[in-house]
Amino acid sequence: MFSALIISVGAVSGISAFLAILMVIADATIANYGEVKITINGDHEYEVRGGKPLLGTLMEQEIFIPSACGGRGSCGLCKVTVKEGAGQYLPTELPWLSEEEQQNNVRLSCQLKVKNDMQIEIPEELFNVKEFQSKVTKVRDLTHDIKEVTLEVVDPPDISMVPGQFVQLRIPEYELTDEPVYRAYSVASNPSDTKHVELEIRLVPNGIATTYVHNYMKEGDEVIFNGPYGDFFLRETEREIVCIAGGSGMAPIKSILLSMAEKGINRRTRYFFGARSKKDLFLVEEMRRLEQELPNFEFIPALSNPEEEDEWQGETGLITDVVAKHMESGENTEAYLCGSPGMIDACVKVLSDKGVPDELTYYDKFG
Amino acid sequence: MKQSPQLNQVQENMRPGVLTLHGFLGTDKRDLVEILEEDEAEVRRIGTTHRVIADKMAVLRDRGKDGLGEFIDVEPNFEVRVDSVRGGIPSPFGGPGLIPKTNTTVRNTRIGREIVYTDINIHLIGEHGFYEGKGSLFRLEPHELVEILEINPEEQQTELPR
Repeated sequence: MFSALIISVGAVSGISAFLAILMVIADATIANYGEVKITINGDHEYEVRGGKPLLGTLMEQEIFIPSACGGRGSCGLCKVTVKEGAGQYLPTELPWLSEEEQQNNVRLSCQLKVKNDMQIEIPEELFNVKEFQSKVTKVRDLTHDIKEVTLEVVDPPDISMVPGQFVQLRIPEYELTDEPVYRAYSVASNPSDTKHVELEIRLVPNGIATTYVHNYMKEGDEVIFNGPYGDFFLRETEREIVCIAGGSGMAPIKSILLSMAEKGINRRTRYFFGARSKKDLFLVEEMRRLEQELPNFEFIPALSNPEEEDEWQGETGLITDVVAKHMESGENTEAYLCGSPGMIDACVKVLSDKGVPDELTYYDKFG
Repeated sequence: MKQSPQLNQVQENMRPGVLTLHGFLGTDKRDLVEILEEDEAEVRRIGTTHRVIADKMAVLRDRGKDGLGEFIDVEPNFEVRVDSVRGGIPSPFGGPGLIPKTNTTVRNTRIGREIVYTDINIHLIGEHGFYEGKGSLFRLEPHELVEILEINPEEQQTELPR
């Protein structure tokens, strides 16, 4: 009796497992979902072939959702709101989505397959995102661990963006990766130069993308990137401006300052830049030149641990202490911060203590 | 020891492309249980515990955060830098949500050696005794951690002088 029961349970389990495997294989090989319609933000309609992940399907329609891992579900960035047609959440999506996001029908577009008509919502600015073929025209050392890379835009021939935004660079297969990967980097150049994009990239230990840029990328290489992305840009107000950055966080701030100089925006602006010693400091001359062009602009570099041979006469200490020392009331101030989450959190607290309203503190957190 | 079905699932999660592009196992072909047992034996031979190692890693990471992205001196003879890249990684063992992609670089100026570890390394070592498979980009050797971070065999209290 007992053994018959075991055999029955085993048989049912075996058949279920077999059918599940069969369904997965069939879905991957012979399933035909035909033409389906994706409606974006209620008014953009696309007829697409069903069966592929939403991220790739949108990419074929030249709609690029930010994704740092190329669609393998390992970065959690490619979130979109799916109002209709998504089905159940997949186990591969759940680690990346908060309860609130799940209640609001946020999905990971690289994991979700397009099988039915869908209604989705994405930020309107993503319609401006394109994929660009480009050529590396210059690679130079800014410090011992930060390189500046200049890309000439080839196809499409122009890029339209606002200062402070970022692009996603495609790193091809090489020694450290069998597949292309994408990584986000802020643009350092003035967007009025629509033919070039300049990036400042710090070497991350064991980093796949930064190792490629530092050790393999050379002038003349063809490079693909997509963008622009992000809502870190200068607001059009009359308030005073405080910028704070460290390391490669220089990039979007520099872009904003170059644009201000070109447009003659002469609001009182102070830029606090933190580094450990003189060898970590860069583009000082360019900042001093901007001080000449923008009479109300002041560049305040600070070294946390200057070497004796640096003969440093400027500010010393952590950037938070230097900001606190220089700032009076922050009531009529807005702030732009770019750097590591730790730096941003510490600076937000200092700014808040000085009276800068939280809603006027904008940041690009590398986290 | 035979590997449990639970560890089979964890090992599946560690494969390249499941949670991260390269996974956690590198070129290591052993069962996860063997990797765990071998590192456990190594840590016992050294005379410490996974928890003590992970705590010291976390303490240095926390002190390094004060450098706001730059190297900072940490007594008695360390230079520590903590920096982050965008995104997070879930643990292959399940829980505790997404772990930030934070790199901690520790230079031991006394012996002139350096080691780099991530927040997920701290979690995997402290909670699961997992140092990643051989050949993984982020594999850490227990004896190197003990030497470079100067973990005393009997160390239980890892608070550093401020």
